[in-house]
Amino acid sequence: MIWRYVIQRLLIAAVQLLALAVLVFFIIRLMPADPVARLVGFNASPEAYAQSQQALGLDRPLLLQFSDFLGLTAGQPGGGLLQGSLGESWESNEPVADELIRSLPVTLELVSLSLLVSLLLAIPIGMYAAARPGGAVDKGAYVWGMFAGSQPDYWWGLLFILVFAFTLGVAPAPLGRHDPLLLPPDPVTGLILVDSVLRGRWDVLVSAFGYLALPVITMVFTVSGAIIKMIRQNTVRALSSDYVMFARACGLPQRTVALYALRTALTPTLTLVAVFFSVLLSAAVTVERVFSLNGVGQYSVRAILNFDYPAIQGAVLAVAFVSLMVYLLVDILHAVLDPRSRSH
Amino acid sequence: MSAQAAGGALLSATGICVDYEGKRAVDGFSLEIQRGGFVGVMGQPGCGKSTAALALLGLVRPPGRITAGRVLWQGRNLLEMDERQLAGIRGSQIGLVTQSPRSSLHPMLTVGAQLVRVYRAHTSASRREAREHALEMLRLVGIQEPARRLDAYVHELSTGMAQRVVIAMALCNQPALLVADEPTSGLDVTIQAQVLDRLWEAAGQLGSAVLLVTQDLGIVANYCDRVVVMDRGGVVEEQTVHGFFQAPRHQYSRRVVGLQTLVSASSPQPDAIRNAAGPEAEDVLVRVRGLRKVFRVPGRTEPLAAVDDIDLAISRGECVGLVGESGSGKTTAGRCILRLEDPDAGEILFAGKALHQMRPVELRAERARMQIVFQDPLDSMNPRWTVEQVIREPLDLATELSTGERRNRILELSRATGLPLDALERRPRELSAGLQQRVAVARAMVTRPDFVVLDEPTSALTPETTAELVGLLRDLRGRYGVAYLLISHDLTTIRDACDRVVVLYLGQVVEEGLTEQIFGAPRHPYTRALIAAHLSADPNSRRVDQTDRTGLLGEIVPVSESLMGCRLSPRCPHAVSRCRAETQSLEAQADGRRVRCWRALEGDLE
Repeated sequence: MIWRYVIQRLLIAAVQLLALAVLVFFIIRLMPADPVARLVGFNASPEAYAQSQQALGLDRPLLLQFSDFLGLTAGQPGGGLLQGSLGESWESNEPVADELIRSLPVTLELVSLSLLVSLLLAIPIGMYAAARPGGAVDKGAYVWGMFAGSQPDYWWGLLFILVFAFTLGVAPAPLGRHDPLLLPPDPVTGLILVDSVLRGRWDVLVSAFGYLALPVITMVFTVSGAIIKMIRQNTVRALSSDYVMFARACGLPQRTVALYALRTALTPTLTLVAVFFSVLLSAAVTVERVFSLNGVGQYSVRAILNFDYPAIQGAVLAVAFVSLMVYLLVDILHAVLDPRSRSH
Repeated sequence: MSAQAAGGALLSATGICVDYEGKRAVDGFSLEIQRGGFVGVMGQPGCGKSTAALALLGLVRPPGRITAGRVLWQGRNLLEMDERQLAGIRGSQIGLVTQSPRSSLHPMLTVGAQLVRVYRAHTSASRREAREHALEMLRLVGIQEPARRLDAYVHELSTGMAQRVVIAMALCNQPALLVADEPTSGLDVTIQAQVLDRLWEAAGQLGSAVLLVTQDLGIVANYCDRVVVMDRGGVVEEQTVHGFFQAPRHQYSRRVVGLQTLVSASSPQPDAIRNAAGPEAEDVLVRVRGLRKVFRVPGRTEPLAAVDDIDLAISRGECVGLVGESGSGKTTAGRCILRLEDPDAGEILFAGKALHQMRPVELRAERARMQIVFQDPLDSMNPRWTVEQVIREPLDLATELSTGERRNRILELSRATGLPLDALERRPRELSAGLQQRVAVARAMVTRPDFVVLDEPTSALTPETTAELVGLLRDLRGRYGVAYLLISHDLTTIRDACDRVVVLYLGQVVEEGLTEQIFGAPRHPYTRALIAAHLSADPNSRRVDQTDRTGLLGEIVPVSESLMGCRLSPRCPHAVSRCRAETQSLEAQADGRRVRCWRALEGDLE
């Protein structure tokens, strides 16, 4: 039964991705931009311009370009989206897929780690605040949420660099994922923390933790306030519920009663995970920039500034794919944990 | 009361005070409960009876606090114990049955797992033994297929079943005292009787004393042996049930007990057409033939007929009652007759016009002449509007009166419905439930309709306000000659307000007749069961004293339309093989009644 649901959801996701691909393709081309001029320069001869235009395929009618993009044109080298190819970057002439495989893990690592730390902080704090409403922790969390959420994340990032890297010197300068003097391990998963363990490169692991600390702290700092608030609300609701009171009336041990409340308070939090994953993905764009991380956020910004159409399309689809998969995973977990969502 | 001779109360509470953020909900509550007694606690909503009952277990709903008092239990003060000591007593020596069973069970754990936990928290039973015991408890409270129910989640249970599970959990460690807080307030009469019978029997078998919080005089009269009346957070009267009904002392007690005699004495109706078969052709205001409405239900292959071939006639100025358990199709039928929902088949004639063929524009023109009052008054009003705006809305939508005429009409109706004058400028939420329902009635009546459908108008009201509303409806009928279709599962309301009664079961009319025929000598087994389950407020003919209490089995369960035979047969105590083989038809009888049961028609059931 669960498999039928998963397959159904995957099919829906495929349709969503395809629709998104169509949208992105046409919206990019509505931009008042001239990618050929951007590539050959404004002083290029008309011949060079035409040659470049032809090489990019931009001389062909729009619908034919679209068919190239999808991979419907017969005898097309390398195929298109339907064959699993995202095309080549106009800027680097490298396959977009290869570039994404390099940049996406950087972002995923940053976002997942930030989300994990945020939840590890927010769950106990939120629940503690709910158990003692109006107490010091409750008020503190409230003030933090207001304060941290009132400034943009890149601003906090710059401030943290100033304070921790330059003034106090306890964190490394924002120069990427690890000490630039260290050779990175050969990629396996693309996640630097995982790869350095797999390759036994402990020096890189330690360095990577240090370099990730500030960007992760920046993201956690700005997003936790909101997560704490929601967990607090869910917990307050669970604690004042009839079933918690009835459990106490039945003389269940305090530990069991707490677990009863915990279970209903945390299940809705799962849905939050998916929401905040998306929030953090977009926050990564600026945070990566501040900390010189070559993630998919930076990649997208570069692609947009260069009018690199295949790269833009690839980045959008990749991020959308990740979001859809996270939502799917969360929904499946929710169905497993909450019997009510199973019987619709 | 042999325990009194043994000396010492089981529980004695003195001077309990409970505060809610500075507001005192319970103020010096004192009570003694004897071993094995069945005590009813009565009082108006907000008098603190539920809060006081919870406080006996040392419980308060947040953000309340118990600020004073003593609850002596076996010589020790419960209110001075820590959570750990309290946990040892709660659920093992004192059990609690809550008002809202479905929200009292954990939504993500199976019923069995919760029962097992409660049992094991107070015994050294193994998991397997606890499961056996849980099974036994579910059987004791009358749950069918208990083994299957153990693995059910609460959202898979009906309210009645959930309430049995809650009772099973409260009783599973054989507590000496069971505190039950309005345990049947959301249940149908049939299920209410089943649940209370089981509670009474189980408590008797286990030797538990019961403290039952309720507003229902019928429950008090039928099950309790003592009555405690509360007002403004304290006990104002305490006596035996017989004493309470013969000589109620406090003014609240006098009022509610007086209500019963008052209502039954004033039964004669305004001069409506007293014909059991319905009105003569020329008097007919509403005529419904072959009304049918089906719903597609997820998880079922065939559609479900909520209303199945209903024939009905209502004459001018008549009040017809539509009764049946929840799920019998009453509400859907009422909405279809007004075409608030579109029926799938059948014709509806309203004052001779074919309502079922009307286009929306034509229908709108008729709306001023037919109105509805909904079950939840607050839910059917715009919370931002003042009461005056709420009442005016039908005038704006369906009439072309001038502003002055509208204002006059609103004033007239608010006077006729007994609304205080300052109510017009307030918002619906600021009024009491009784006044809210009066606003709903005023809104329905403001266009001077010929016909009003009242859909469970009293279900949110106390017995007192219910009686007032019934009086008001009768009054308005005399004044404006309006006809009602009164939908209710509350038989007292039906008996006091209606000329004729139509009984529905699973979308079909099973019996129809004059009110006194239906209540005096019900023929169809379903009607009999409904009437028998109705708890009348008479401590001298208690339900628990009767030897034969066989009612319907189980709960209303939709049956397949292709099923041959009587739809009630799976639950009917009189069903024989022919009942399961033959589809039953509604047959008219000599006295004008119509009954859908061959055994009743042949006189087998007398």
